[in-house]
Amino acid sequence: MLEYVWLIPLLPLFASFVILFATKEDPHSPMPFVGIAVMGWCLIQSIAIFSGVVSGAHHLPYEANWNWFSFATDIGGRPFAYSMPVGVLIDGPASIMLVVVTLVSLLVQIYSVGYMHGDPRYKRYFAYLSFFTASMLGLIVSSNLLVTFACWELVGVSSYLLIGFWFEKPGPAYASKKAFMTTKLGDTGLYLALLLIFAKVGSFQITQVQNFVTMGYLADWAALAIGLGILCGAMGKSAQWPLFIWLPDAMEGPTPVSALIHAATMVAAGIYLVAKTYFIYAASPLAMETVAWIGLITALLAASMAVVAYDIKRVLAFSTVSQLGFMLCALGVGGYTAGLFHLTTHAYFKALLFMGAGSVIHAVHSNDMRLMGGLSKKMPITFITVFIGTYAIAGLWPAAGFYSKDLILEKVYEHSPLMFWLLLFAALLTAFYMFRMVFLTFLGRERDAEKHHHADESPAVMTVPLIILAVLSIVSGFALEYKHLIQHLADYKLPESFAAHANHPNPFLIKWGVMGLVLGSIGLSWRLYGGQDQRLAESIKERLLVLFNILENRYGFDTLFLWMVKLADRLAAFAHWFDSAILDQIFIDGWGLITRIFAEISHLFDAIFIDRTVDGFGGLSNDVGVGLRWFVRDGLVQEYLLWAAVAVSFFMIFAFWL
Amino acid sequence: MESFSFYSMSAVALVSALLVVTLRNAVHSALFLGLSLAAVGGLYAVLGADFLFGGQILVYVGGIAVLIMFVVMLLGRASDLHLRQVNNQWMAALLVCGISFLGLWKVIGLFTASKTQTPPRPTTHELGRLMLAEYAVPFELISLVLLAALLGAIFFSHIDKKEPS
Amino acid sequence: MTLAHYLIIGAALFLIGLFGALTRRNVIGILMSIELMFNAANINLAAFNRFLHPEGVAGQAVALFIITIAAAEVVVGLALVLAIVRNTDTLYVEEFNLLKG
Repeated sequence: MLEYVWLIPLLPLFASFVILFATKEDPHSPMPFVGIAVMGWCLIQSIAIFSGVVSGAHHLPYEANWNWFSFATDIGGRPFAYSMPVGVLIDGPASIMLVVVTLVSLLVQIYSVGYMHGDPRYKRYFAYLSFFTASMLGLIVSSNLLVTFACWELVGVSSYLLIGFWFEKPGPAYASKKAFMTTKLGDTGLYLALLLIFAKVGSFQITQVQNFVTMGYLADWAALAIGLGILCGAMGKSAQWPLFIWLPDAMEGPTPVSALIHAATMVAAGIYLVAKTYFIYAASPLAMETVAWIGLITALLAASMAVVAYDIKRVLAFSTVSQLGFMLCALGVGGYTAGLFHLTTHAYFKALLFMGAGSVIHAVHSNDMRLMGGLSKKMPITFITVFIGTYAIAGLWPAAGFYSKDLILEKVYEHSPLMFWLLLFAALLTAFYMFRMVFLTFLGRERDAEKHHHADESPAVMTVPLIILAVLSIVSGFALEYKHLIQHLADYKLPESFAAHANHPNPFLIKWGVMGLVLGSIGLSWRLYGGQDQRLAESIKERLLVLFNILENRYGFDTLFLWMVKLADRLAAFAHWFDSAILDQIFIDGWGLITRIFAEISHLFDAIFIDRTVDGFGGLSNDVGVGLRWFVRDGLVQEYLLWAAVAVSFFMIFAFWL
Repeated sequence: MESFSFYSMSAVALVSALLVVTLRNAVHSALFLGLSLAAVGGLYAVLGADFLFGGQILVYVGGIAVLIMFVVMLLGRASDLHLRQVNNQWMAALLVCGISFLGLWKVIGLFTASKTQTPPRPTTHELGRLMLAEYAVPFELISLVLLAALLGAIFFSHIDKKEPS
Repeated sequence: MTLAHYLIIGAALFLIGLFGALTRRNVIGILMSIELMFNAANINLAAFNRFLHPEGVAGQAVALFIITIAAAEVVVGLALVLAIVRNTDTLYVEEFNLLKG
């Protein structure tokens, strides 16, 4: 099965082209099932690979390369040939990610059949989904950083297309533009990092780069620069502080898209890339520390913003940002396993939560939680599955989040107790706002009777994926923790220096102490939002209005970015003014004027002296000719010939006799 | 022997050439042209240029002189015999030619000491090789010139029957 | 026999031809004179070849080329004469002075 792993990204790509180009657009097109079938096959293949990896049948890492192109150049006068292979590289994290991406993509596509039913661009939506999945899978399996980068950008393109899927509305159009440009800002750093890698190593092959770095050939500053560059890319793609501003707006896209791209897979690409190039961070402690703090800051800020959001999808978006911050922080403190573990489990329960939210939105046609409430009776399956997802993300035993978040917190405590307490606060906030969302949506009294009246449980095509994901949200943590499977699959031996100052926590205390605190946080949430009315919550909000406003304005980061854009605009305007008024006027036009003056002088000289001289010669020969014509009769060839002979004979006499 | 051949051929060539340019009857002129050309061919033979001699007889005497004869006969009129055939600048021309001859005489005087050392040998084989090897390009160009001349001759001498002349 | 003998014959023949070209009123006469001049040049070539470079035949080759050119010239010239006579009904060069400026 492993030999055919290259099929996994190529089949969905092929499917997307077939869906896009083979048939006409039709709201009841059967084409989505092509994508679903292909994705099903990919899932089967991924599971086969994964089980092979787990059982030890495959020797990892598996790498296979094909020649793509090669080129030659001179380095210091010596010919040097580069070859650029394209290929697949499967290691433990890649095998997990393949299953995660194919599974979530499959479920999202099935769910979308119900959710997108009757959309005028029904077929194109599925083509985009397949295209996105193909790009994402290519990113995962590629053995070549250049190909990874290409897939990275294709993922960005699909994200742009899907966020702006309803591009007739100004919101999605604006959001897609914002997402694309913000991530592009980060990609610039990634691109520079790749250039530096090629300049230093002379190869894009991950294994070669890894050997180069682990042998210690890479200079410290280069490792730091490359690490920060890749972190830049990850900050864009995984919506980390300060580039997280695009993700909440990206919720303008269709909800299944949010589930697939902006919760489970694409935003995980940044984390995955950091993990894939972890050897570079291992070579640069400073880059590692930066990763950890970026993750921590993101986790805290995003969690605090989620507390005050009323849009159900925004809550989930902030939660996603926050959870991605957890993962990045885990990677930054050396918890390679913990980060990837949380990446896996988070993909399941966050996809579940988004799809559950989609189910709710589908039913009440609104995103605003203030208009919901009491939906648990109307939509029992959705309620139960969303509750399970929330249970999992809050980190309660025995759901998946318990294991992965616990592992992260342990690793962070080993690294620094200060970061542990901050991250713990973020984790408590997570539990608080997630349960707040559940309480506001499903419990309490119905705040909008009409919407409540029309709400109805979604069809089976939407609820079945929810149930599958709910099961996975419960068991995936336990299953991966069983016999330390995740350590076996995804582990990275850091150099000794990283473990030098380790604090050793009491695992039992962290596990259950944290869970106790989380339960307290949930209790607070219940006290404030669980009841029939929220008078207590309202009074707190009034008292802390300033804080709420800051949070609702997302700490002003959007304003900051807008202000920066405006600044850049002003700068550009100034540059334009400088260019047109100063440079053009004085230098270009002035130079032109000087040239013109010289040209005029030259022209006068030409007209007066040169032309007159030339005309004079012409006139002279004309006059001579006219004078000579007086001697000859007109038009007789022999006479001309005679004159010629006379001339020749004269020359002869002069030359030979005189 | 060589000098006899040379002087006799030269005499024939020059005398008949003079007759070509002075005779009033164009038919006679053409006949003497043929004789003069044949004598020049004889000079080639004296010089040991066997192929050139053959070419001279074939092309000039057999071709060009006869062609000119045809045209003279075609265009000639009886009245021509009673008309002056020399224009009124003949004295100036004579003077110029005489002066030129003096000039050339001076130059030719430089070569009086040059005598031939080797006996003549057949040259046809060598010429053939030269034409097809080193002078292949000029050879081909000459053939093009001949073709162009052929076409030009046809073009100029063609009479458009439909057009009333 | 020296080279000078041949060159004198060539020069004489050339000047006779030149004289003819300058004085004949008849167009065909002029053509014949030009043929004489060609032959004078050919004599010179053959003589130079014989006396100065007896080891090769390049002079004779050039003479052959000139014979060919002369043949072409005569053919075109005669065709022109035919055309001229047909148009102007005269053989005498004073009668056609199209070159009059």
